[in-house]
Amino acid sequence: MVKEFNILITGVGGQGVILISELLGNAAVNDGLNVRGSEVLGMAVRGGAVTSTIRIGSEVYGPLIPMGKCDILIGIEPSEALRNITYLSPSSLVILNMAKVVPTSVFIGESSYPSLEEIVEKLSQIANRVIRLKAAQIAEEAGSVMAANIVMLGALFGTGQLPIKIETTKEQIRARFSAKLAPVNIKAFDLGYQTCQQALK
Amino acid sequence: MKNLTIVSDAPGEKLFMLGNEAIARGAIEAGVQVAAAYPGTPSSEITETLAAVAKDTNMYVEWSTNEKVAFEVALAASICGVRALACMKHVGVNVAHDPLMTASYIGAKGGLVLLSADDPWAWSSQNEQDSRYIAQQGYIPVLEPSSVQEAKDMMADAFNLSEEFKHLFMFRSVTRIGHGRSDVVLGEISKEKRKGSFEKDPSHLVLAPREVRKNRALMVERFEKIKEAVDRLPYNQLKLINGAKLGIIACGLSYSYTLEALKWLGLDDQVSMLKIGTPHPLPAELVKRLLNSVEEILVVEELEPFVENQVKVIAMEADIRVKIHGKDLVPVIGELSTRKVTDAITNLTGSKSPVNFTQLDKLGEETAPLLPWRPPILCTGCPHRASQYAIKVASRRVAKDYGKDIVPIYPGDISCSTLAYIPPLEIPDAVLCMGASFGLANGLCRVVEAPIVAEMGDSTFFHSGIPPVINAVYNKANITMIVLDNSATAMTGFQPHPGTGYTATGEETTQLKIEDIVKACGVKFVEVIDPFDLKKAIATIEKAIRFDGPSVIVSRRLCTIIEQREKRKRGEKTIPYYIDQERCSEKCNTCVMLFGCPSIMKEDGKTIIDSTACTGCGVCAQICPYNAIKIQE
Repeated sequence: MVKEFNILITGVGGQGVILISELLGNAAVNDGLNVRGSEVLGMAVRGGAVTSTIRIGSEVYGPLIPMGKCDILIGIEPSEALRNITYLSPSSLVILNMAKVVPTSVFIGESSYPSLEEIVEKLSQIANRVIRLKAAQIAEEAGSVMAANIVMLGALFGTGQLPIKIETTKEQIRARFSAKLAPVNIKAFDLGYQTCQQALK
Repeated sequence: MKNLTIVSDAPGEKLFMLGNEAIARGAIEAGVQVAAAYPGTPSSEITETLAAVAKDTNMYVEWSTNEKVAFEVALAASICGVRALACMKHVGVNVAHDPLMTASYIGAKGGLVLLSADDPWAWSSQNEQDSRYIAQQGYIPVLEPSSVQEAKDMMADAFNLSEEFKHLFMFRSVTRIGHGRSDVVLGEISKEKRKGSFEKDPSHLVLAPREVRKNRALMVERFEKIKEAVDRLPYNQLKLINGAKLGIIACGLSYSYTLEALKWLGLDDQVSMLKIGTPHPLPAELVKRLLNSVEEILVVEELEPFVENQVKVIAMEADIRVKIHGKDLVPVIGELSTRKVTDAITNLTGSKSPVNFTQLDKLGEETAPLLPWRPPILCTGCPHRASQYAIKVASRRVAKDYGKDIVPIYPGDISCSTLAYIPPLEIPDAVLCMGASFGLANGLCRVVEAPIVAEMGDSTFFHSGIPPVINAVYNKANITMIVLDNSATAMTGFQPHPGTGYTATGEETTQLKIEDIVKACGVKFVEVIDPFDLKKAIATIEKAIRFDGPSVIVSRRLCTIIEQREKRKRGEKTIPYYIDQERCSEKCNTCVMLFGCPSIMKEDGKTIIDSTACTGCGVCAQICPYNAIKIQE
């Protein structure tokens, strides 16, 4: 069994961060793996920054990923990935959805939003690789723009690093969505997977 | 794939669970028959989970009007021999404090557990209170789990312990337990169903002075027995390493962080460790054995030095001379992490962390200025934003009449509406605890000459908002009290309350009207407004503020999240608004700078509306001075 594998999922309230971690956690348990995780629910969800951790392995005890110990960072929102840069190490992979969600604080002049190039550059300085994709477009191709988070989940598996089986995860997706939406989400997963594999070639 | 659920009687099977679900499962396994709670992050999912399976498990589950009532409901069941659970967040324990302090004089017949969900780092709270001190004050033993699995096991066992010692127990959870996730091995579900019976026993149940003295002695006696027993409980574990210089005492979740830190540093076979699952009372014999075997001690625990101070007392009483560290090395502020524990251990042992934290801290500091500020805010189409905008406009009009530099004062409350304290709305001005907005208004009007407009959510009104309304009437306070009624306990997950007409388990019940209650309290000015009819709302609020004496306005509109959900179910389409760029003035920015709906955005100098996110509330169209905001055709 893997000793420690840490996945950090970041985004904005409403982007489906928690759903990804639920699917991952359920799949990992079905594969007989040891899983820990945590997220902040409640007040922090109202349009605020959301992070969720999924940790797999025999030497994982706590719910939180220690700084510098994240294996794969998923950014459903680019600046939210950057906000968690201190969890990265030179061996980390970052999967970045290149779609900004600009908060109101920027429009009223209370803060500013960096350029996407700047975000990628900063993350690249520390991470081994930053894989960029446009999850919403890919999701639309799959049949629903709502499946952008599942595209990111597929991309996560596309790295080839996960200790969880793809089929177990797909079973979870089928169980989670209605008969109508399940095929759309499976397709979103596959397209995300392929996009990541292409990027890594 | 197995189809396991929270109520599957499948001992030994594994399920991936949220900590609060695991805690609920523990209560189900224990055969709890009564569960009462008031919602509060990070505790709400426990009771939500129980309510959803109440019929399957033959359990009575209720959302009580507040934590005091919730605890009293549970206590009553326990007095009658039935197992009962009361759940609340840490500050909720303050509300239940009064019955709690005397309940320990009564003890428990049916297993009785009060769950306090503490919130280190105040992710969703107004303070970082450590509830274990409340338990200590009331001779109440505390169980504190180190993992989600142990949370389930401990909760199931807590009721056995409570009945064995005839005493109530506190279960202390923290955010990363309740909102942690883990694979959980299920236990067996109790099949026992008890019928409650009330035995008249005034010398035990009527806490009149004569009975108090006798029952206090019995309480202390019960607690002494628990003290003797905790050394043998499986939740406290001592691992002595031969020749170890350092001993770590880790309480609750910090045990997990400590295990991880020691593995990291390669010290797991060089440091002696005492895992604490009962911070109150401490397993004194185990503590002494550890103290006697090492040169230095590090106590690791979330928030206050609760265990640390007890360990120091034990060391002093047993005359054991050993250096005891704790909050000198482990921060008292915020939640713990493997990193914080690692820092404390490297500080004591001189060992080196495999990760260069200082470098990462520097990276974090360099990155911070690049990041946009993304606080939680009111949702698109939130009725609170419209109400708060109306309150500001109306109160400023009245303030002018008070004098040139007079500004209105807005005491606020625990609610989604708190989120608007930052720009652009910047209302409320002060937020303290449940119900305090009306209470503060009662005091402010005695010392300040300005319009005092207090706001409070509907669920909070039922929780603790009624006494300050009565106080305002009784003492003739010239204040305006606004109930922001979105017909839900929205912040904690849309739980029903007495104003919704539904119970926790979805049964229909009497729907209480806030306006009827305040009228019955003697308020002479009572109006109900629709915040989306902005002009009328502003005019009515202005009238209320000008009214001589206490006035109440109920600003009623369903929470936008529920509204959108119901609309989708009905198959109704949302028609979004757009900005007519020919009419929009580049210099105006009223909608952005004064209203702050997250769906109104700036792009290349233009103000636009995100049509995929707009809920079609139309309030922005009412505030636009250029009539530039229009509904899509």
